[in-house]
Amino acid sequence: MADVQTGTRRAAGPRDTVWREPAGIGQTRRARPEVVRVASKAIRKSAAIVLLLALWEVLPRLEVFDPVFVPPLSENLAAWYDLLLSGQLLEHFQASLTRSLAGFGLAIVLAIPLGLLIGWYTPVADLLMPLLELFRNTSAVALLPVFILVLGLGETSKITFVLYACSWPILLNTVSGVKTVEPLLIKSARSMGLGPIRLFQKVILPAAVPTIFTGVRLAGAYSILVLLFAEMVGAKAGLGYLIQDSQSSFRITDMYAGIITISVLGLLFNLLLLTVERRFSTWRT
Amino acid sequence: MTATLSETATLTKIDIRNVTKDFEVRDTGGAFTALRGVSLDVREGEFLTLVGPSGCGKSTLLDLVAGLTGPTAGEITIDGTPITGPGLDRGIVFQQYALFPWRTALANVVFGLEAKGVPRREREGRAREYLGLVGLTGFEERYPHELSGGMRQRVAIARSLAFDPDVLLMDEPFAALDAQTRESLQEELLGIWGKTGKTVIFITHGIDEAVYLGQRVAVMTSRPGRIKEVVDVSFDSREGDLRADPRFGEYRHHIWTLLRDEVAAAVVQERKVAVPRG
Ligand SMILES: Nc1ncnc2c1ncn2[C@@H]1O[C@H](COP(=O)(O)OP(=O)(O)OP(=O)(O)O)[C@@H](O)[C@H]1O
Ligand SMILES: [Mg+2]
Repeated sequence: MADVQTGTRRAAGPRDTVWREPAGIGQTRRARPEVVRVASKAIRKSAAIVLLLALWEVLPRLEVFDPVFVPPLSENLAAWYDLLLSGQLLEHFQASLTRSLAGFGLAIVLAIPLGLLIGWYTPVADLLMPLLELFRNTSAVALLPVFILVLGLGETSKITFVLYACSWPILLNTVSGVKTVEPLLIKSARSMGLGPIRLFQKVILPAAVPTIFTGVRLAGAYSILVLLFAEMVGAKAGLGYLIQDSQSSFRITDMYAGIITISVLGLLFNLLLLTVERRFSTWRT
Repeated sequence: MTATLSETATLTKIDIRNVTKDFEVRDTGGAFTALRGVSLDVREGEFLTLVGPSGCGKSTLLDLVAGLTGPTAGEITIDGTPITGPGLDRGIVFQQYALFPWRTALANVVFGLEAKGVPRREREGRAREYLGLVGLTGFEERYPHELSGGMRQRVAIARSLAFDPDVLLMDEPFAALDAQTRESLQEELLGIWGKTGKTVIFITHGIDEAVYLGQRVAVMTSRPGRIKEVVDVSFDSREGDLRADPRFGEYRHHIWTLLRDEVAAAVVQERKVAVPRG
């Protein structure tokens, strides 16, 4: 986000200069650096990734890395393509995505209302906050064995696990979003005769939306992260299972194919949520 | 018109009777007296300015009139009825604008109309009309962060005017603005007041502003605040540069003298509070 902002600010600079200069030579003289600048920026931004990919291809071939454990990138991509054609990749991808989205969706549906309740009603906060503090500081990962013990190895335990992990950022951000609404806005709305319900609906809620959405975005990242872990511990399908299973049966290129898929998925998911978040908080400066 | 109003309109709009306001002190559990025995009549349709040293309880008094808090003792009535809570018969304009940042200028003005229960179809037209009144036609779709300080305060004024309250309560509304913007808004406010005939209570730190705007200037003592004196301000004519009128200087000096002792007292008081006891 910050990068984008500095980007636009920088882009405005030279245009200002053009504006003040008489048209003609000045513009063409400035136009070329503009193209060069955009290109050089694109290069700068992707350089590290391109370098990593190149090294991944070259170093194993030069046997700097053992190509058995770190095969060259092209071989991993070939394995990825094979998995795609055989339909296996889609199957694992679907299994993971379904669990992630189910847990994530449930977390949104449960944690937002609960957070609103805790943020708004002090008695509810007094009652629940100590309990929440306790659980919040208990790592979700530490609780996975308990989930499996109680709910078995099936879908329920995995979705519940994701739900649990995703709930915290949403819940805590919702509570703080409600609690940190500018008091003057509440005062102003109260002065116009708004009762508690309409105050909540017209002031508290819209004011808290950007903060809530930041929590939702964090939860989105968690949903993939923790699910992967759960799938590695015990599953018959899913990208985590694919990675774990390929490793233990020594299909190393398949393992990397799984890893590549998961990081691209995570990236896309975060990008999607960022876009939605920006739409919700255009008014925030 | 200003002169006739102040002479003929003697009907009491807001009656503040012997009002005391205590705040609970959190750590000691004791009481902190912000206002003690404030009495003041605000007349129907008048423009009353309120000055006093910082911390004397001006904002507290305005909150009481707004019904946002209740007095510890005493009573405030509006049209003879005791104030029990906030209401749309009174509109407030705050120093920090208090606009809803997620709403456009237009939607901010509409907010008050929603609160009042104005039918949906009429809201937008009326909001546009009031934004026009404060000179903001063309800025309806801007968000507060896209407006200058002066424009934001205009939106806040439009919002308070649009639901048509009888009384306008203004708490240092122009204090955060530069001198030119402040003067043009003062001018506009007087114009709007003349057109709408609303009762205005206007808090300010500026003696000039108080004399320029007010038909009467209420001067408060240092905390616990009381009304020290209410100064009638009247000019033979409001045409031309009022600030150049010799009487302007006289009023100004008189109020300055009243305030000087109180400000000195307030400073001494603050020092006492600052020194830790025991
Ligand atoms: N909610 C509150 N709780 C406790 N004390 C308060 C509260 N509100 C105001 N006070 C105290 O009451 C006194 C009067 O405050 P108030 O804001 O009314 O002053 P003011 O005259 O408006 O000052 P200023 O000119 O600086 O705005 C101050 O000493 C302030 O600390
Ligand atoms: Mg104040």
